[in-house]
Amino acid sequence: MKLKQGSFLWYLYLDKLYCLLSVRNVKALVEYFHLLDVHRKKTLNDVLFYHFLHHVTDLKRNQITIVFNMLDWNAVGEIGFDQFYMLVCILLAQENHLEEQFIFRHSRPVFELLDLDGELKIGPSNFHMYNFLFKIKKQQLRDLYHDFDITGDCRLNYKEFKLFTIFSMNKYQESQKAVKEEKAVPEKKCHKL
Amino acid sequence: MEEKPFKVRTLPGPPHPVSPQTHPRSTLGPSLAILSLSPGSGQLPTITPPPSPPPQPGLRPGGGPGNPPPPQPALPFLPNSPRPLASLGVCGLQALAKSSGHRGSGKSSPHDTRNLWTTATQSQPKLNVPLPTVREDSELEGSSVGGKTRWSYNQKAGHDSDGGWEESDDGEDKDSFKPEELDEHALMELEMRRGSSLGGPLEEDDSKTDDEKSSSVSSLNISKHTPHRAYWVEQQSRLPLPLTELMENEALEILTKALRSYRSEIGRDHFLTKQLQRYIEGLKRRRNKRLQVMVI
Repeated sequence: MKLKQGSFLWYLYLDKLYCLLSVRNVKALVEYFHLLDVHRKKTLNDVLFYHFLHHVTDLKRNQITIVFNMLDWNAVGEIGFDQFYMLVCILLAQENHLEEQFIFRHSRPVFELLDLDGELKIGPSNFHMYNFLFKIKKQQLRDLYHDFDITGDCRLNYKEFKLFTIFSMNKYQESQKAVKEEKAVPEKKCHKL
Repeated sequence: MEEKPFKVRTLPGPPHPVSPQTHPRSTLGPSLAILSLSPGSGQLPTITPPPSPPPQPGLRPGGGPGNPPPPQPALPFLPNSPRPLASLGVCGLQALAKSSGHRGSGKSSPHDTRNLWTTATQSQPKLNVPLPTVREDSELEGSSVGGKTRWSYNQKAGHDSDGGWEESDDGEDKDSFKPEELDEHALMELEMRRGSSLGGPLEEDDSKTDDEKSSSVSSLNISKHTPHRAYWVEQQSRLPLPLTELMENEALEILTKALRSYRSEIGRDHFLTKQLQRYIEGLKRRRNKRLQVMVI
């Protein structure tokens, strides 16, 4: 998934630590939502939502439908601002390669989004369905169920999922450190020369 | 490491006019708060907004020793949603979104700060955006996030996550003022002081009239260059025009496509289709009006 360059969302950014928008970004987002709220119900219906996502991202129709059903947690056929805000944060996290941090920071909401049936457990199918949003790789999924399925029922409850987010965050930070060190080594060599 | 609960906390300062404490429809008991992003988080250099006047203690809104604490990110929270997931929702911002619907009436309130503007302040040669080009509708009227900071537009180079809209605290306002403006203002003050102190007893009358003239001229010059406080208070809470234009243009494109879907799926005569059509026409008129004013 990529945001359309030059679109309004493309100019927003997430705080790298908390993976949330700043107040000013949110203020702008409120105004943007208000512009799209044609029928003055403080919501976007499925048609408006589809055209919005289709305009600002490269998601396909079936993916947009999946996202809409995921966010319409009240099943009213409309998306309110808080769901809209959640979606924007997810899109920006993916755009800025902050998926691991986002899932770590907001593990509860992400778990509940993945738990479409409300069973408080998520299986591999849940992850596959939303893979285009959260980008959890196949190898990660295998490790996930191998290492964290403590109960052994091939599904993860929230605590198991939380453990997974902590470990994947640690792994991500280690890989970042390794990348920085690799970059630093040739610079040192240049300095010596 | 435990996850922090999502709470929306208010910025220190005067209460928001549409804050839950004042909004009649708000069902939220506890006060809301929004933490804003801390500056200096390693983002790209910013393009500063249209030049601002030299700082004056009496005119700078929010200036003073009591500066707000460093801003932090907004942590949303919706306590009354049936799903705990909705704790990520922004209830305070919902209140804002609700109130924004009331603001779109196009009528100006009696307490509109623009009514406080004098004609003297409307000649602002140093401002890139003349006052008539500021949004004429009342959508953002009365809106104040207690914002003591300004927008600055940061154009992204590629998909760098460090780009985007930034804020600058009042303390950083000085950096955005041009040094020539400051010097000019300081010079004017010096001239005024000199004018009052110069001249012996024999030349007192002449010097007085000369001083009065010079002081009146300099005061006129100052009043021309220093905008009205109410204007700057309102500017602080408004979105920058380039961003507003971008939003409106994009919304128009999206809604035009949506209108085609409406017509094909529910028909041209459906009230929702007509409502959408009227809305799009209204948006286009507003955009054209703004473009015409800018051209002038």
